[in-house]
Amino acid sequence: MAVIQAHSIHRYVDTPEGRLTILDDINLTIDAGETLAIVGASGSGKSTLLALLAGLDLPNRGHVSIDGVNLSHLSEEQRAVLRGEQVGFVFQSFLLVHSLTALENVMLPAELAGAEAAEAQAKELLTQVGLADRIHHYPNQLSGGEQQRVAIARAFIGRPQLLFADEPTGNLDRATGKKIEQLLFDLNRAYGTSLIIVTHDQQLAAQCGRTVNIDHGRVQELAKYEA
Amino acid sequence: MRREFRISWRLLRHEMRRGELTIMALAVALAVAAVLSLSLFSERLQQGLVAQSSAFMAADRVLQSSRPLPEQWFMQATEAGLEYTERVSFSSMIFGQDQLALAQVKAVGQGYPLRGQLLVATEAFAPGEATQSLPASGEAWVHSGLMGQLNVTLGDTVEVGDKRFTITQVLIKEPDASLNLFNDQPTVLIPLADLAATNLIQPGSRVQYHGLFAGALTQLSAFENWLLPQLDPLTQDWRSVEGGDSPLAAAMQRANRFMLLASLLGVVLAATAVAVAAQRYTQRNYDAVAIMKALGGRKRVVGGIFIAHLALLSLFSIGLGLLLGYLLQTVVVFFVSQQLGYVLPAASWGPWWLALATGLLTAILFSLYPLIRLLQIPPLRVLRRELEGGRWGVWLHGLFCGLSVYLLMLLYSGNWLLSAALFAGGIVAAVVLLLVGRLFIRLSRTLGMQAGSSWRLAMANMQRRGRQNSLQMISFATAIMLFLLVLALRNELLADWQKQLPENAPNYFVVNVKGEQIEPLHGVFAENNIEATDFYPITPGRLLAVNGELVADAVPASEQGEKAPQRQGFGRELQLTWRAQLPPENTLVAGSWWPEEADYQGVSVESSVAERMQIALGDILTFRIGADDIQVPVRSIRDVNWNSMQPNFYMIFSPAAFAQVPVTYIGSFYLPESRQPELYNLFTSFPQISLIDIAGVMEQVRTVIGHVSLAITFVMVLVILAGALVLVAQVQASLDERQQELVILRTLGAKQRLLSQAVWYEFLVLGALAGFIAALAMELSVFVLQSQVFQMPASVHPRFWLLGPLVGACLVASLGWLSIGRLMQQRTADLIRLIS
Repeated sequence: MAVIQAHSIHRYVDTPEGRLTILDDINLTIDAGETLAIVGASGSGKSTLLALLAGLDLPNRGHVSIDGVNLSHLSEEQRAVLRGEQVGFVFQSFLLVHSLTALENVMLPAELAGAEAAEAQAKELLTQVGLADRIHHYPNQLSGGEQQRVAIARAFIGRPQLLFADEPTGNLDRATGKKIEQLLFDLNRAYGTSLIIVTHDQQLAAQCGRTVNIDHGRVQELAKYEA
Repeated sequence: MRREFRISWRLLRHEMRRGELTIMALAVALAVAAVLSLSLFSERLQQGLVAQSSAFMAADRVLQSSRPLPEQWFMQATEAGLEYTERVSFSSMIFGQDQLALAQVKAVGQGYPLRGQLLVATEAFAPGEATQSLPASGEAWVHSGLMGQLNVTLGDTVEVGDKRFTITQVLIKEPDASLNLFNDQPTVLIPLADLAATNLIQPGSRVQYHGLFAGALTQLSAFENWLLPQLDPLTQDWRSVEGGDSPLAAAMQRANRFMLLASLLGVVLAATAVAVAAQRYTQRNYDAVAIMKALGGRKRVVGGIFIAHLALLSLFSIGLGLLLGYLLQTVVVFFVSQQLGYVLPAASWGPWWLALATGLLTAILFSLYPLIRLLQIPPLRVLRRELEGGRWGVWLHGLFCGLSVYLLMLLYSGNWLLSAALFAGGIVAAVVLLLVGRLFIRLSRTLGMQAGSSWRLAMANMQRRGRQNSLQMISFATAIMLFLLVLALRNELLADWQKQLPENAPNYFVVNVKGEQIEPLHGVFAENNIEATDFYPITPGRLLAVNGELVADAVPASEQGEKAPQRQGFGRELQLTWRAQLPPENTLVAGSWWPEEADYQGVSVESSVAERMQIALGDILTFRIGADDIQVPVRSIRDVNWNSMQPNFYMIFSPAAFAQVPVTYIGSFYLPESRQPELYNLFTSFPQISLIDIAGVMEQVRTVIGHVSLAITFVMVLVILAGALVLVAQVQASLDERQQELVILRTLGAKQRLLSQAVWYEFLVLGALAGFIAALAMELSVFVLQSQVFQMPASVHPRFWLLGPLVGACLVASLGWLSIGRLMQQRTADLIRLIS
């Protein structure tokens, strides 16, 4: 069953030198529980596509639906609520709130959504990612790998249907990256989440069920791997 | 709302602990502390000085009249909750042991003096002790000088009119002793109840009736509002300490203006620091907002979190500011009170409200626009880090900031005109500074290209951040300018006061000296090693007519009938003098001083009298001196510095005009307080000479000036603190960008020494340029302030032209280094992590 459907989406920006097309007529369907890698060269539009699929931005033409809801018909506020309920994020630069501890960072999405008893759940998740003894540390007191683990725990606290990861291992060394990948896929399986990863890393892409390659704003190739 | 509050409290707690909000909190706290401590202190000092100065009038307000005061007015004063008493004074011949002398008789009612103290002794010229009592019926207290003239001692009697009084005390000093050198005859104090028995008050007697009033300011104001419309301006005069031409009033007015101005500048500086810090505070939270929005935070929720955050921060900072301000003024008041020897009165709640309003205004209005922009941050920023909120309504930010600065000025000064003038001046100065700053930055880039590599790097950095640096330079220059301005004005004010009251300024005047006594007196002064001034001839005379047209004298309005309007005369005799040369502290504003011709006739008129009576050069003035009328043409018009402690005159004649007139002389000398007991012996051989002691007045003026200087220094320290905070806030604001540059340069292999030097040079040059611009702006401002606000002669300050760039360079470089020095010491790897 399709969780996300992109219908002929276009994204462009108008510059003094003329219109710059970033995404050109993209059609994409992602099913529940599926893992998808979006690969492509720098500047090919991977992150833009991720932003549109996650409802962080809207296409100039076409539309994206999550669970059959057309995002273009939603206001900024409604999209925020939808993200809060159904979407989790993991970023290349971790993007933790530097004034909050690991525990508070993990609790944040739940608290923003008004959930009670977020603390117990956050602690459990931090234990799952192996940071039970570092819950009161601030991001700058943690290593890169640890920060990314906090980010993963934060992404899963809302039990999201969709998890978007933008170059999740891009800022990490090979060994740490491997551990993070493992964690991501383990949790993905455990929570039954659809995982959409933007990456340069072919090995990481190979672990996904499907890969799309973006080239000059178009989906050029679809390859199917056995997960 | 509980959820938002919980998250914002958590953020605030951690950020406070990690020192991320220090500048913002300090800026608001300093603004609040500055306003609170300054207004508390100045209000208390003002009240203290007024209370002390009231002692010079023996009351808070005095109503002087040439006719008896209606009983109903005193009843009204009682109803208004005021204390009151009466004093009737007049000149009369007093008879002692076969001697007679002219004295000032003061008949005083119960309760006199309402303010200040009477000093009495059992011997003439003794130091005297304060007393709460008054002479009883049939008793008189006689002034030291008069004891000698009348050849009397305690227990003897004196005759005042038809009544005989027993001398029970020597009167050393009464608080409201006349400051008029010429009218000051030695005093005899008698009870008001005995006045009628003297039979001296007859129709036509020249008597002054005084109503003395004391009470709280609000009660006095209420009474004033009721009384003033009923007064006859020709015969009745309502006096307060703040008014008048006394050196004390002038010193207080100037000091008040200075405090007001400097505090305003201090508050504006602190507000600038808040504005800069608020900008940085919100910029640091851009990512947090984007993350929260991406994670599903609704605009209302995220807005709630940051509004609560700012509110909590503001409350904390305002609370801290109030505490700091109160402590600061307590310490200052403690030291000032120690020096003054009395406790300053408590202040009202006014300053607390003012400080609270300042805190709220600075925290809310300066943060409003940055906060709006913060909440505009799109969630997409999590992927595209360069995204910020829309730049719509930058003008709105300008409007908010401008409005809050103006509101602050208005709140503080209560004077919309002064605030508007300062505000407009500030805007013009800011624009000019911005343009000059950019020009200098360009110039320095050109020069820097020819210098060594660290210089080149420093100048390139400056140029690259041109717009930001120009803005920074404005803040630096403004801070330095205000610092220089306050310093220069403080020095000018103190120097001006010091000039009026040099250490050995004459503290005694001798009057009623006959021509033949001048030589022997000089002999006495020389023998006793006493410094004395020249003797001036004086004679009492009355101005009768201008160009043959009689002037109106003090005739009550009710008796004037419907006569044609006349020039208003003095209503009293003037002390006239003649001089061959223009006296010091006098400046000619029209005409010329007379030549040294033996028969040259002329008079020089004081400028305010000439203006009031419409007297012009060439007018013929008629004076009555003794039984003779003399006519002289006006040859010149003079400005007189009435604050100088020397004999000053409305009318000065040419020597020839005074040739046939009988005169006495007046002179002055300086005698240290420790030698006061010698006075009696010095003057025993000159019994009819009157001695006037103005040491008390001078001491009072010195004390006031001393305290005001302290207050001014206190204000200056606050201005410096506020200025430093602006500098730190500005440097902090550029910290993130510097961090990135540092990483890039380090990665490219730049050596630590080169980078450190470049930073030093950049701040040195920025500071020196800002200091130079500040010196220029300061010179202009001081000129305007001296000539327009303080009514002082304007002056140039060449040493500040050097001091400005020097202070600027040192201050900015040190603060800059302190702020980013830590950054320079960090390892590249750590820096990279900080950026990411």
